Amino acid sequence: MNEQKIVEIDTVKIKKRLKQRKAKMKMSLSVCARCTLCADSCFLFNNNNKDPKYMPSYKFINSIGRIYKRRGKVDRAALEKIREIVWKDCVLCTRCYCPFGIDIPDMIAFARSICREQGVYPTFED
Amino acid sequence: MVKGQRKPIDEITGALEKYSNVLNIGCGGCVSVCLAGGQKEVNLLNAELESIYKQNNISKKIEGFTVERQCNMQYLDELDDIAGGYDCLMSMACGAGVQYLAEKFPGKPVFPAINTVAIGIDREIGIYEEKCRACGECVLGYTGGICPVTRCAKGLFNGPCGGTNKGKCEISNDISCAWQDIYERLKGQNRLDDILKIKEPMEWKNQTQRTIIQEPYMKRYT
Repeated sequence: MNEQKIVEIDTVKIKKRLKQRKAKMKMSLSVCARCTLCADSCFLFNNNNKDPKYMPSYKFINSIGRIYKRRGKVDRAALEKIREIVWKDCVLCTRCYCPFGIDIPDMIAFARSICREQGVYPTFED
Repeated sequence: MVKGQRKPIDEITGALEKYSNVLNIGCGGCVSVCLAGGQKEVNLLNAELESIYKQNNISKKIEGFTVERQCNMQYLDELDDIAGGYDCLMSMACGAGVQYLAEKFPGKPVFPAINTVAIGIDREIGIYEEKCRACGECVLGYTGGICPVTRCAKGLFNGPCGGTNKGKCEISNDISCAWQDIYERLKGQNRLDDILKIKEPMEWKNQTQRTIIQEPYMKRYT
């Protein structure tokens, strides 16, 4: 778990993590109707000229959704792109609201956890 | 945000002395921003500990795991399947996180690896300054946005005291007098009337544990 110097992405490990929470993830991704109602509950969306990249649904579909769709077969570049979404575009304030009851913060936190395990995380020194 | 500083390595090794299987848990919240207890710091501390144990021929397993926030049970739940395999847990979160972790795993010894120092601001990367003592009686509106509880050595609500000398505090010439600064700030805003108002002594509520329930949630929780 002390993965600071990992170069290769362990896709088997990612796949194993995905499997652990497959049911919740699958349901969340299939239930999302792209209604964008969650956007209004995101302060980052509201304070960034309603830029769609801050929509909670966009963030979870393009992070954990992307990893799940590729069945964990992602490379470092893909995880680094996801890192930008789950850390820079979301502060995990857990205030986003989904009318269908999707636990978006939980999905984003899961994406963060997978990134962390692969040594992809912010260092706050940039 | 909460600011922390890593404990001296001797104190950490002393706390872990009796345990051979340790999980060091980082926090992705405030302590990660102040470079004290995030994932990177977990890795650095673990590497340092491993090196010390190797040099001294001590057999000990140290592993790391970072959760998003140790002050939120939702994120601590991630440790459910992991924590059981270790003799003790070490937390690199603030005091709140350490206590919540200990509450979640009451049967496991939990040791803090950092000292929680302050609520503060980021001057530069790696330089943090205390700004608030969370006293629960904020007077910043009357003191020109300068906190007398944090900045004044005596925490005076009505100042300055007789120890002020040419804008410096009597405890050190390197420390500016908070009340002199308050005076200057209020003068610049043409608000010197505020300094003449006598503030009642503080009710030191922080001597007992405080719980905050925001107004819209009162009905739900009381």
